[in-house]
Amino acid sequence: MTRKQQYLCGIKSGVPVIFGFIPVGIAYGIMAEQAGLLAGETVAMSVFVFAGASQMMAVGMYGQGAGLASMILAALILNLRHLIMSTCVMNRMKPCGTGFKLLAAFGVTDESFALFTTEQESRATPWYFLGLITVTYTSWVTGSFLGAIAATLLPSILSASLGIALYAMFIGLMIPGVKQNLRLGLLVVLTAVVNSALSQVIPFSWALILSTLLCAGVGVFFVNLDEEEVEEG
Amino acid sequence: MRAEIFTLILGMAAVTYIPRAIPAVLTDKLRFRAKVEKYLKLIPFTAMAALVFPAIFSVDESRPYIGVIGGLAAVLLAWRKLPLAVTVLGSIGAVLTVYLISGAA
Repeated sequence: MTRKQQYLCGIKSGVPVIFGFIPVGIAYGIMAEQAGLLAGETVAMSVFVFAGASQMMAVGMYGQGAGLASMILAALILNLRHLIMSTCVMNRMKPCGTGFKLLAAFGVTDESFALFTTEQESRATPWYFLGLITVTYTSWVTGSFLGAIAATLLPSILSASLGIALYAMFIGLMIPGVKQNLRLGLLVVLTAVVNSALSQVIPFSWALILSTLLCAGVGVFFVNLDEEEVEEG
Repeated sequence: MRAEIFTLILGMAAVTYIPRAIPAVLTDKLRFRAKVEKYLKLIPFTAMAALVFPAIFSVDESRPYIGVIGGLAAVLLAWRKLPLAVTVLGSIGAVLTVYLISGAA
């Protein structure tokens, strides 16, 4: 495949994220507006930060009168998981130059990471990733913009229903691998239980990082990772 | 833009980009052993499991069953090998239907 074909292939794979990011972006835009941010500030944050959970947390805290340092620290803690995710993404970008990787790094989110690292190795090329993050970034900024300018136009029943979208996407990405590998399924269940338990005792962002790292470590010893089983889904 | 918000965006952009960029600079120099390679391949699954559970139960804070129904719809659709976009839309549709029937939200 040419670079252009790989790029278009990535764009196509990013389509499901649109259904997740536009609504979540709108939700963020509404939250920001309620917290007292101007429309331009709301969109600027999406353009420069591009991290849904951190932005929502920040505007929520801002609305409650939190200080700058505490909002930035919260974002840092919440974003440490991207250190792990970016490592997995960059592991598939070995042949690329550092400049290219630094550009790609900006687009590492839970969603682009999940789509890219569960894709067949032959398709998951660097240009595919660029196509993918073009879609995710555009959807996120567009959603934020829509939320900032039209907070009240969306029927509440629809915005409530759209909250499921990102979870449905993660489930849709896990199932093909899990279906063909019982032990991988057990690992997913184990992680779900461990994270649910940990979230009761420590802040959820730390629970997420800890259970991800710990359970993957446990998985190394009991999951048989036959390439074809996981990659082809 | 107000100065305070400008500083906030700048600070958040830095703490968001740095964790994403560190592996971009470092992985060049690293060659992972087979065990580490396997570990990195399992992380997408453990990360997604942790992103979904327990958060999915609080999609609607006061109605945990909404997350359960949307989640089950997604499992069912993905199990039948439908495209990801169909799984996402189907799950949204299931939740929307429940809201319409129950008259909630």
